[in-house]
Amino acid sequence: MKGKTKISIDYARCGESGRVDPRTCGICLRVCGPAVFLLHQPLGAVEENPYKPRQWRVTAVHLSLCTRCMKCVELCPEKAVTVTW
Amino acid sequence: MCELCMKHGAGGKWYLNARHYSNEIVEKYNLRDFLMEQYTNFEQMQVRPVMGFNGVGLGYRVRIPIIGRIIKGFAERMLTSTNPPTNPFRAEGHIGQVVPLEDAVAILEHCAAEPIIEKNCMCRFMSRGIEEACCINFGVMSEIIDKLPRFIPEKEKYHLTRREAVERITAHNKKGYIGTIWFGPFPYINNLCSCASPECAGIRPRVDYGIKSIFKAEYVIEAHADKCTGCRACISLCQFGALSWSWTLKRVIVDQEKCYGCGVCRHACKHGALSLIPRDSFPGFDGEY
Ligand code: SF4
Ligand code: SF4
Ligand code: SF4
Ligand code: SF4
Repeated sequence: MKGKTKISIDYARCGESGRVDPRTCGICLRVCGPAVFLLHQPLGAVEENPYKPRQWRVTAVHLSLCTRCMKCVELCPEKAVTVTW
Repeated sequence: MCELCMKHGAGGKWYLNARHYSNEIVEKYNLRDFLMEQYTNFEQMQVRPVMGFNGVGLGYRVRIPIIGRIIKGFAERMLTSTNPPTNPFRAEGHIGQVVPLEDAVAILEHCAAEPIIEKNCMCRFMSRGIEEACCINFGVMSEIIDKLPRFIPEKEKYHLTRREAVERITAHNKKGYIGTIWFGPFPYINNLCSCASPECAGIRPRVDYGIKSIFKAEYVIEAHADKCTGCRACISLCQFGALSWSWTLKRVIVDQEKCYGCGVCRHACKHGALSLIPRDSFPGFDGEY
């Protein structure tokens, strides 16, 4: 695949301060064949109970494996995913 | 024998050396706090910078000619490190090997420290948001997971007897999940996993980026042409693409170079056409694991 893929998530729509908790949605995580996305706690998050974290977000980590199928963009109910190259 | 066995096997396979499972190691290296910290923040590891870089877009970086080699070398040294671990936010000394069902059972029967638990797989959770109990832990690691609710299965019984643990790993292996055993961190063995690719964060660096994060098993598959009826049931079980169908021969052919020796394909073959042979006995590998 030519060039490098860039994928961003709008955390105002999905993530620790967004409308959606990615643990309950998770559509992008599962629609993506090569499993490009990672569900994780934001770095430096302050948790009331660190053993039971409540803040989660999604980051596209395995960018070079993205096939640019655009399923994640299409199916994200929050329109939070952008894929460009 | 692989590098890990030569260095840490005391004459046998490293993962059948019961010393690596003992609580004494945990106390000696003070691994309780290390593991607690590591598993509290586990899913962050790939986005946390190490030497100024994190895992985002790693695939592009390892392709850069010289820099890529340096990054791979650094990652492999970190994973195979035998120094006392210092930073719980990195996968220091976290190296593993594929194990077929027989060896996984031997680990559970003879080596694993109690208590034995089966937790939710963190790789399936962080890559797919799916909770699936299929990751067996031993000893102190089990006690740590007891304090981390997101890894504790809601439905299944998760503190297991040895016999129950053997039953669980057998069931997972028969489904086609890849058995793997891990130092985490060296020299403590505490995880016997049933992995899936591409989700497994331990297998992925090797398969996708060429970073040796896991050793292939001490075995490799052998297909017996005379017994293969051409039913093709085995092909879909191989997660490494090592088995394929020959339209010309009308039977399954093996790419030993791709085979990790997990042995799960054998469960599909009703005709005894697939068996594992010691990797060392295969002439072509020359010590490659
Ligand atoms: S475009 Fe397709 S391959 Fe790329 S991240 Fe989205 S779902 Fe995955
Ligand atoms: S599909 Fe959209 S809303 Fe759902 S987890 Fe992914 S980014 Fe968030
Ligand atoms: S399952 Fe056995 S008989 Fe069927 S194709 Fe595979 S090796 Fe041949
Ligand atoms: S061919 Fe090798 S890697 Fe594939 S399932 Fe069989 S033993 Fe595992």
